Amino acid sequence: MHAAAAGLTEELRDTRPDAAGVERLRMGSRRGFLLGAGGVAAALALAACSSSSTKTSSSGAGGTPMASGSPSPSMSSMYTGDLQVVALATALENQAVGAYTAALAAAKAGKLGTVPAAVGTFATTAMAQHADHAKAWNAVLTGAGKPAITGVPLSNQPATLKALGAATSAGAVAQLALELENQAAQTYLFATYNVSSAGGIATAASIAPVEAMHAAILNFVLGQYPVPDDFLPTDKAASPALLTV
Amino acid sequence: MALQTAASIENLAVSVYTTAAGLPFIKDGNKTVAAFIAKTTSQHQAHAQAFNAAATQAGGKAQSGPDPKYAAVVKQMLPSIKGPGDVVSLAITLEDVAAQTYTSYTSKVSDATLRKLFASVAPVEAQHRATLLAVQALLAGGDASLIAIPTDLAKLPAAAGSVGFPDAFYPTKNASPISEGAVQ
Repeated sequence: MHAAAAGLTEELRDTRPDAAGVERLRMGSRRGFLLGAGGVAAALALAACSSSSTKTSSSGAGGTPMASGSPSPSMSSMYTGDLQVVALATALENQAVGAYTAALAAAKAGKLGTVPAAVGTFATTAMAQHADHAKAWNAVLTGAGKPAITGVPLSNQPATLKALGAATSAGAVAQLALELENQAAQTYLFATYNVSSAGGIATAASIAPVEAMHAAILNFVLGQYPVPDDFLPTDKAASPALLTV
Repeated sequence: MALQTAASIENLAVSVYTTAAGLPFIKDGNKTVAAFIAKTTSQHQAHAQAFNAAATQAGGKAQSGPDPKYAAVVKQMLPSIKGPGDVVSLAITLEDVAAQTYTSYTSKVSDATLRKLFASVAPVEAQHRATLLAVQALLAGGDASLIAIPTDLAKLPAAAGSVGFPDAFYPTKNASPISEGAVQ
């Protein structure tokens, strides 16, 4: 397990039985996490993506973080406070692994036309790194006595799968992957200043740059400038409201 | 001190990229590399301004000088720079130090606003490094003509797709100590 994730597991384990500790892990008076439609949904203009689970997100077209309060879905979720963010992170990583797996399968089946060699190695390597990230986050969940997340319990997953299924070129898949990578990087950025545990902050801080690097290479592959922003924004960050567990 | 050290790293990066932009094999060389250096210089300037603004807002002094440790490294390396590959190699070193340092500082500072600042800059430096690693691989492979936007995707070597992100988790073992670039 990544060292920072191991630290987070310890923090959560130490606080689990104690009500005050649980409260400490909740975001409480901090700004609530993210609102807004997933970046993928916005980018692909799939309106259905954001309608069911992000009622409070309608004010932010690009996924603007909300100004106050906690995200309402957490009230019924088995994952609360920092663990809700961990669960979201795990689901996003699984979503990325699934997307790259599907893309590689489609390429192998000849559904994407001729796939450049660099795109193939990109997908294979990025997929492995996302699997590592998911493993680290899942270790935190199970260490805190919560179930691991092995699927993609996100309300935007059907739209993501639909977009993947409709892709007929490596470029289309790369564009979808770029949206997933931007969403992940920006979600982790937002997590660094909205979670309370030191381990969670360190883990998010160590993964965000990696997702951003994936995005840089994808931009290059797509013929776009690889470092478009002076400062990483958060307008494409995912909301815990996307979680369906 | 963390903000001053961060500003010192940015100041050094601006200085190095500015010097590199004036070298004949950069100025008259690959246009995409030259454009990258120009854009990256302006991004590091923006970072330095942001770090110094935060430092003065917190009651400290702005840092206008370079990081002393890496300034010495740069001074030592400059005479041996003979071509674009040498410039790229030096830039990769600086970008990696910056990214590692800010990744480390993100979990060291208690103020959420400062965490956000460090965490929003670290990925940008990592993106600089990713791009430079890809450029380095293309230069080493004799594929300089593929350093273009847009590039000829079909001709990119397989390694170009993965060389830009060697670690699943961004390391911090080479992060600069918080006091390294503090105003004396």
